[in-house]
Amino acid sequence: MRTLTALLAPALLAAAAPAQARDYLIAPTRPDRLVIVDTEAMAVDKVITIDMAAPLPSLPVVSADGRRAFVIVAQNEEIVEIDLESGEEVQRLILGTEQERVKALFGMDLSPDGTTLAVYESPVGLFKNHFEVRPTRLSLYDTATGALKARAEAPRQVTVIAYSKDGSRIYGMGREMHVFDAATGQKVDELPIHGWGKGEYVQPDVLDAWSQFEVAGMVTTPFYTFREDGDPEDPEAYRTGLLTLDLETGEMVMKDAEATDIFYFSTVADPAKQRIFGVYNQLASFDLETRAPIKRVNLPHSYYSVNVSSDGSTVYIGGTLGNIGVYDADTLEKKGQIDLPDGHSMSLASVRLFTRDE
Amino acid sequence: MSRIAPALWTTCAALALALPAHAMEPQDILDRVCTTCHAPRADGSLPRIDDGRRTPEGWDMTLVRMMRNHGVRMTGEERATMVRHLADTRGLSVAETEGWRYILEQEPVAVDEAPNQDMAEMCARCHSFARVAVQRRTREDWAHMIHFHLGQFPTLEYQALARDRDWWGIAMGDVLDFLAENYGYGERVASLAADLSGAWTVAGRMPGRGDYAGTMHVMAEGTDYEVHLDLGFADGSHAHFDGRGLVYGAGEWRATLSDGETEIRQVMALGADGALSGRWFDAESDVIGARMLAAREDGTPRILGVSPGHLRLGEAAEITLTGVGLSGAPVLPEGVSAELVSESATQVVLRVTAAAEAAVGPVTLGLGDLAAPLVLYDRLDRIAVVPEVTISRVGGNDGPIAKVPAQFEVVGYLNGPDGAPGTEDDILVGHFPADWSTEDFDEVAAAMEDARFAGVIDGAGRFTPGDAGPNPERPMTTNNAGNLWVVARLEQAGEVLEGRAQLFATVQRFVDPPIR
Ligand code: HEC
Ligand code: HEC
Repeated sequence: MRTLTALLAPALLAAAAPAQARDYLIAPTRPDRLVIVDTEAMAVDKVITIDMAAPLPSLPVVSADGRRAFVIVAQNEEIVEIDLESGEEVQRLILGTEQERVKALFGMDLSPDGTTLAVYESPVGLFKNHFEVRPTRLSLYDTATGALKARAEAPRQVTVIAYSKDGSRIYGMGREMHVFDAATGQKVDELPIHGWGKGEYVQPDVLDAWSQFEVAGMVTTPFYTFREDGDPEDPEAYRTGLLTLDLETGEMVMKDAEATDIFYFSTVADPAKQRIFGVYNQLASFDLETRAPIKRVNLPHSYYSVNVSSDGSTVYIGGTLGNIGVYDADTLEKKGQIDLPDGHSMSLASVRLFTRDE
Repeated sequence: MSRIAPALWTTCAALALALPAHAMEPQDILDRVCTTCHAPRADGSLPRIDDGRRTPEGWDMTLVRMMRNHGVRMTGEERATMVRHLADTRGLSVAETEGWRYILEQEPVAVDEAPNQDMAEMCARCHSFARVAVQRRTREDWAHMIHFHLGQFPTLEYQALARDRDWWGIAMGDVLDFLAENYGYGERVASLAADLSGAWTVAGRMPGRGDYAGTMHVMAEGTDYEVHLDLGFADGSHAHFDGRGLVYGAGEWRATLSDGETEIRQVMALGADGALSGRWFDAESDVIGARMLAAREDGTPRILGVSPGHLRLGEAAEITLTGVGLSGAPVLPEGVSAELVSESATQVVLRVTAAAEAAVGPVTLGLGDLAAPLVLYDRLDRIAVVPEVTISRVGGNDGPIAKVPAQFEVVGYLNGPDGAPGTEDDILVGHFPADWSTEDFDEVAAAMEDARFAGVIDGAGRFTPGDAGPNPERPMTTNNAGNLWVVARLEQAGEVLEGRAQLFATVQRFVDPPIR
């Protein structure tokens, strides 16, 4: 009896809760697909084909209720809103015109209240016999109508765009961490990235092309530097650091983590904000607070993108080719693999996690 | 790779329809095709087209882009006449290309050096700096060209050596200033009026095969020239090529010739002295070729080549002077005696003896009023392999891309007055045959047995790389890439001199524009 009660109790508790939230992965694949993976079943749940999306839907951003996604498609020149349940296209934003080619290269995010889509845009004027590179900008679109609500010039070379948890700020990762006002898109502040570590380290190199901050509410990226007084012959002088930006508090921390003996393409923080996972040819875990390396395992091939389950127990690695590796967050042991349909590759796309009440 | 807005394709489709089927004259193409997008300004000049000057290869690359990116349709013939017209009317003087000609000549032994580190990182990390330096543009047109780069390749500013700096700010600031100041539009250059018809004496050295001399007959035919080239090599072999040549603009000589088996290209420039200088190479494999100097037989007397250009003390050798208008008695340096073996206006052969006690070093061998360099030596102090570092590329194996070999040569040196090797006063004696082999460059190469798989080097210093594609015999069935030492050994009076070069046997080049 006791055993039975013990077994039943969690089920009863669950039943008492309003609904059960379930983790899904959304993996864009070449040339025009969104693959939804049910992480509990470790299986492909749904394949959505987007019209005129080739060569690769690059960045998906899922609404808080897990029912809609905005996706950058069509050579980064269009954004589509997709109903993730029906697979239907809800609306399409064509960023440019005949006279102006506009690309959303890496950065897009939804405001926490779901009303605004922030897009970092690189416009180029197309004249009859010459091009004109125009200032990069942050555009804010009304998600209900697709109408432009606000737009402001923004520094160049920005990759990831992320809203603060309270929706008042938008962060843009560039040569510095630029901070924009969420209502106007105007730049209001900046936190040093290239300016970090002066006197101790040379200017760090950062290339964060992957948006995977939704689970922890924390943007993280690896960076690479060199000790200012270091000896080029000394492998310890080459340093890998980890940057975190807490979207709740706005606190940004850059810290030296280990000697650069391997590279990571991208990293993700776990929801408890205790660990960071980095991926490329290896999967590695770090202590988020101290940045001390914890564990590292070799991977069967390169993976560019990494994400984490909402309970922090499982790490998903994707991007590059056509499968998602499933790893235990503690032991970094492989738990399984999800092969995406027809071997279509994810290439440079970000694999994201969302939760939906069932 | 190219990302074109659909809008442009639409424009182009309309344009393609406007083109009649028969070949159009260049001026018609300019007036009727180009002006649909490059509409004349009030003064009649065509924006972009009249704002820059380029080499024929540069014009061809621009036209190819108009065809590929902007949907301009031209037949091969139209493209060729268009390049000719643009290079004739909007070309560079030969002097303006000085120092950068290696990029046109496909010279494998050349170091591409940007004027400073900033320009190198900004403008010479994807292509040579020479590609930039053989163009002249107005400031506005240079600005357009920079806009084109980032406009066409929007991720450029995120790449390594770009994301570390305000790439756009620097490009539109210091870089634009530098380009406008050093490579500004300048003056239009008149195209050559002179007729190059006649007999030309030629001389040169083909790496791997040796010195050569011969005759090039050039006969005007229409707007081009018929060309016959006869070469005699120092090793006794001969070659004969026929084909056609032409001069673009002020003096860019280009010819395509064939010996029935191999097609060669000549890329030469007409210098102020009336001589043609440049290089010819196998059209399929531009690494294989030779520098060439040519002077018209009725031109000012001069010596074009001395073969061999070095003589060992205590030895006698036949030395051939090749040139035009050769006459007069030999004028010999101290310790050197000579007998005349044969003599003509284009070739004088001397049997030259260097006394055992003569002084080593460079001397001058005179002929009448003319002079040629000769180096006397006793023993070489060292040898070096050139090029010092180079690449080869796998290819073939039924793939579309041919192998790119590498050609090495040995040069011998004397230490010079200071007796120390590798210093400024070292004396280059000349080129020498050697025994060739390859070795693994380092431990990594040894573990992968690169020397075994990457390719083979022959007795003439030519390295032929392995087949393209994975090799099942190699660990992880990797391809036939490798990192090798190319080793040359030369015996000199019981002693062995050794020289080394590094060879990266690498993968194919998939995009190969005329100006790398
Ligand atoms: C369909 C429109 C179109 C037509 C027709 C066209 N061009 Fe262009 N051209 C462009 C555009 C757009 C650019 C600027 C973008 C670029 O450089 O690719 C350009 C740029 C150029 C440039 C500057 C290139 C550089 O390196 O900066 C030259 C020179 C030029 N064109 C020559 C020509 C010539 C010659 C023709 C006729 C054979 C021609 N174009 C026909 C659209 C056109
Ligand atoms: C990211 C790589 C990259 C960098 C950096 C770069 N280029 Fe280029 N450049 C190219 C490519 C690719 C082309 C060929 C474009 C085509 O024809 O499609 C080109 C072509 C050119 C041409 C020939 C244009 C023609 O008509 O064919 C010039 C001149 C040139 N570049 C100058 C520059 C200068 C000046 C800079 C520095 C501001 C620069 N490049 C930096 C990639 C680069």
